[in-house]
Amino acid sequence: MKTLGPLLVNLIVRPMGRERVRTALTLFAVALGVGVVIAIDLAGAAAAGSFHSSLESLAGKSTLVLHQTGGIDQSLLGRLVQLPYAFDFAPRIEDFASINGKGEALPFLGLDLIGHPGQHEFQNDRPDSAARDLAGANPVWVGQRLKLRPGDQVSLLINDSIHRFTVRGILKTRRGEIAEKNAIVADIGLAQQVTGSAGKLDSIDVTIPPDHSVDYWREILAKNVPAGITIDDQGSRTEENRKMLTAFRSNLRVLSYIALLVGAFLIYSTIEVSVVRRRADIGIVRALGATRKMVATAFLAEALVIGLVGSVLGVVIGRVMAQGAVALIGSTVQSLYVSSEPAPIALTGGAILIGIGTGLLVSMLAALAPAIEASQVAPVEAMARGRQEYITITRSGKKVVWAAAMFATAVVLSKLPPLERQPIFAYAAALLLVAGTASAIPATVSFFEGVAKRAVSLLLGVEGSLALHALRASLGRTSVLTSALATAVAMSSSVGIMVGSFRETVWVWMEDQLKADFYLSPAGRPGADRHPTMDPGIGSAIERLPGVAAVDRARSYTISYAGLPATLMGAEISKAGSSRNTRFMPGQDRNRILGQLGRGDYAIISEPFANKHGLGVGSEIVLPLRGGKQTFKVLGVYYDYSTERGIVLLDWHTLLKYLPDAAPSSLVVFLKSGADPEAVHRGIDGVIAGRPVMVLTSSKLRREGIAVFDRTFRITYALEAVAVTVAVLGIAGALLALVIDRRREFALVRFLGGAQVQIRRIILCEAGLLGLLANGIGLGLGTLLSLLLVFVINKQSFGWTIQFHWPVALLLAVLTTVFVATLLAGIYPAGVATRMNPIEVIHEE
Amino acid sequence: MKSRAIAAFLAMLLSASARQWQLALPGCHYQFPRDHFSHPDYETEWWYYTGNLRDPGGHRFGFELTFFRVAVNLPQQTVPSDASWRPDQIYLAHLALSDIDRGEFYHTERLNRAGPGLAGIDSSEGRYWNGNWQVRWVSLETGEQELRAVCERFAIHLDLTPEKPFVIHGRNGVSQKGAEPGRASHYISFTRLRASGQLESNGGSFSLTGLAWMDHEFFTGQLGSSVAGWDWFAIQLDNNEELMLYRLRNKSGQADPYSSGTYVDARGESRFLDSSQISFSPGEFWQSPVSGAAYPVAWKIAVPSLDLELSERTSLKDQELFSRNSYSPAYWEGAVTYSGRIHSQPVNGVGYLEMTGYKETQKVGAH
Repeated sequence: MKTLGPLLVNLIVRPMGRERVRTALTLFAVALGVGVVIAIDLAGAAAAGSFHSSLESLAGKSTLVLHQTGGIDQSLLGRLVQLPYAFDFAPRIEDFASINGKGEALPFLGLDLIGHPGQHEFQNDRPDSAARDLAGANPVWVGQRLKLRPGDQVSLLINDSIHRFTVRGILKTRRGEIAEKNAIVADIGLAQQVTGSAGKLDSIDVTIPPDHSVDYWREILAKNVPAGITIDDQGSRTEENRKMLTAFRSNLRVLSYIALLVGAFLIYSTIEVSVVRRRADIGIVRALGATRKMVATAFLAEALVIGLVGSVLGVVIGRVMAQGAVALIGSTVQSLYVSSEPAPIALTGGAILIGIGTGLLVSMLAALAPAIEASQVAPVEAMARGRQEYITITRSGKKVVWAAAMFATAVVLSKLPPLERQPIFAYAAALLLVAGTASAIPATVSFFEGVAKRAVSLLLGVEGSLALHALRASLGRTSVLTSALATAVAMSSSVGIMVGSFRETVWVWMEDQLKADFYLSPAGRPGADRHPTMDPGIGSAIERLPGVAAVDRARSYTISYAGLPATLMGAEISKAGSSRNTRFMPGQDRNRILGQLGRGDYAIISEPFANKHGLGVGSEIVLPLRGGKQTFKVLGVYYDYSTERGIVLLDWHTLLKYLPDAAPSSLVVFLKSGADPEAVHRGIDGVIAGRPVMVLTSSKLRREGIAVFDRTFRITYALEAVAVTVAVLGIAGALLALVIDRRREFALVRFLGGAQVQIRRIILCEAGLLGLLANGIGLGLGTLLSLLLVFVINKQSFGWTIQFHWPVALLLAVLTTVFVATLLAGIYPAGVATRMNPIEVIHEE
Repeated sequence: MKSRAIAAFLAMLLSASARQWQLALPGCHYQFPRDHFSHPDYETEWWYYTGNLRDPGGHRFGFELTFFRVAVNLPQQTVPSDASWRPDQIYLAHLALSDIDRGEFYHTERLNRAGPGLAGIDSSEGRYWNGNWQVRWVSLETGEQELRAVCERFAIHLDLTPEKPFVIHGRNGVSQKGAEPGRASHYISFTRLRASGQLESNGGSFSLTGLAWMDHEFFTGQLGSSVAGWDWFAIQLDNNEELMLYRLRNKSGQADPYSSGTYVDARGESRFLDSSQISFSPGEFWQSPVSGAAYPVAWKIAVPSLDLELSERTSLKDQELFSRNSYSPAYWEGAVTYSGRIHSQPVNGVGYLEMTGYKETQKVGAH
């Protein structure tokens, strides 16, 4: 046996063929692990990576874009077009609309369809027919996905009113331009009118002459526009959004690796089982002249095959799962970050390679230790009998030392700051915690046996005792299985604790914050980058209603700060009579800050904004507003969980001074004590008079908020579920292997009078004990990991303070699910064991 | 009487239901300088600048800059939008440069509504403009004008000084184009503008001098439905005389009896020429590779009453304004030269030739 070929056949291929079910389970586990990685990668790219900021769609070939918070006075356009340079200036109105006020917010764009029809490929053959098409009842052009036809009537909710339009044509979609598919385009005059922005433009797209550099033209433009206008690169909003989503995507990606990590434990376990089981064969082939290297290579080849086939399967599974994931991620992106529509999923060669590569790498790494162990089997072992009784020699004492060292390092790493805004060290710490726990498991199992012996024999009888002993006896394998399952449990419970803590924090914050009686905002799905407004008259009319103590107005704008999107807000937060409950960071005096806020160019900033930009009390924020760049001094940093973008909050009147548009985005109504809420509500309904404005009570608003929150985190639950599934599959496979290895033992039990039902009970007891053990260890590890998630990873990635909280119900659900699933995983192996014919088994030997 | 088809085309596109527009009728009382500017009561109006220029080294150029105004009447059911963007008036403009010695022709167009000052005609400022293409009257008395236009390929700046007063074409204040009343336009020309200025192009910077021509015309529905196109000649002779001649073609390719012209003598006195006094004979054809239309780029013109016989030639055959995304139908408008005799004396001249309605004719296979 000097060549590898026959060795592979005898040592690897045949055994794998004999144990089809186990091989298939392992393959499937790897496939799921790789699949999740691919799915999240693809879905993340689709939901966030390739999206165009929807308002930047239809920007044509322009290079630069002019913006001004609150809009550009359109007279500027008249001046710009007359400059003696070959620029092209295309004005735009950018807003959102929803059909009949329901469903998703669609980009609603106003474009100059007469001056720039050729820039946008309308379905009309001749661009000039756009001019003719402007005649008629509010003509709009719509994206293909809206499934409307020319001539259809459509009602759109824009800000606080519904307008009727006639579909005049369908927007052609250029390749890769996704947002156009759901965009609605109107002529600029009509768009100004329906969005309530007469005389204003949201942006001006600039196409520069080709004969000089972009910077040259940027400078010329800068000399010809007022100071409050920013000159951005076209696509910069998309870029900013992408940057904003980096943390979200990388955390999601890390979560997706959990299942693969669990899969790695299973590969380790599979190869380890193979090595143990084929120890005698290894001895024989070694005696026949196979080198150590050849033996190691053979087992690595097994891992390679599992990794390769599993990964290829994983690509297929991943592509399928991506479809579901994109919907989940898409809704998160929509509600938390930016109104955009996911791109189609693009399974690129790169993604396939990364998926398969990752799968192979993880498989090979996981198989390294067992393969080396196999190569160390001496030829003399071919002669040794009693291979079934072989027990992996575990040096549990030494491993405990290792575990302690890893835990200590993890603690140190968790104290380090983020690397380029990414919590790299914290992730490393999490990996060390997992590895440390895995090292400590043999010792823990032994300890568990010692502690549980009496209880188990009392509770589960002789079958239980046998099961417990078997677990201890096959410690090498058991501990790996326990690690796999415990890791899955730990990851799930840690994410569960983090999400639960976050949820509780947000809930408490909302309870604290939402003390007013009614909240008004324009109808339609809320979004972090959309700030529809209401008629200013509504607020003053409500103020005059009997029983109303005060009405606080707030107005928000989407702005860009230091290359990241943010929200600029003006609120009557410090108005007498109102009692908003803004909470500031420790050491900041709420009353003093709010008292000073309205007295000048002051701002307070939300916690994520402060963390993102490294700002604090006393910092200065420069914003381009009307009349040029304005500087605001930060008075305080307050807790806010409403948007990860971060908020710069000014007093209402300070904001009005620079952006004189009194239309509020939201109203907060406080009642006089003793006033009848029902009566006031009726009064408010009268003021609104059928306009699509939502009136919410604080409890309703809280429920809405938490619904958004839950929608946001659905994807994390899905990822955990996959990780647990992988682990349970692994348990099933491993138990099956245990059963097959111990068929002689079971046969003996049968000969000694054991009933089939007792055999089944032994196996199920083993499964149950394993599940219990993994649950216990997993919960402990999970708690440690959740501390990392809550206090380090979240803080470094998103900048939120989260109060630690045990989501007991959720944890119980996870643990129960895992336990039940483990028991269920024991059913098939138990069946195999009971179906064995004891006589045949004994004869085999 | 220029690019009538363009305007007619736009008018057809844009005016869904016509309100009562004013017609060009005889006996109009002109009032200047007011009548050099906008007449929104008429559906269509244009200001047309063309010219032949050269630099000190003799490098020849031709240019065209045209401002069109087309009134649109939108149906009543339209929700009124912010007035500044309401497309009540559409402003179209054409800009072309003929680099005759290099054999290059470039043209571009733009379409706008008034918007916040995107395009318009402002008599108080003495100005019409479409973006950064504009003409400003430096003096309403002398008629001195300043023309500026910038596009991707070039920027041109010309000072235009009338060497003669403007003329009003036709008879009794109208240039009649058909039998029905109102099938006519009010048509005013500066037939000899001394031009000097600067051209910046990719090919370099040129100091230019030469002769320009300006037409201003306004009307409502001046052409009858039988008219297929026309051939228009602006002729600036080196004996200090000018002619404007046009030949209306009906759909069978025949000259329409309402073809006519104007003769301007050296002192600036003008004389109407009716169709019986003018003969046109097309010569060599050039076929456009872009539109497929075949244009007669060489002509023989005779006006026996002036003892005039002229051959028209062009050194640059491709001066067709047409592109795939063009708003307007294809037409040929280019710098040309004339040679022959007038009043029995040999004479040379420069000018512009415009030919419209050839693309359709070509399709029917008339040539």
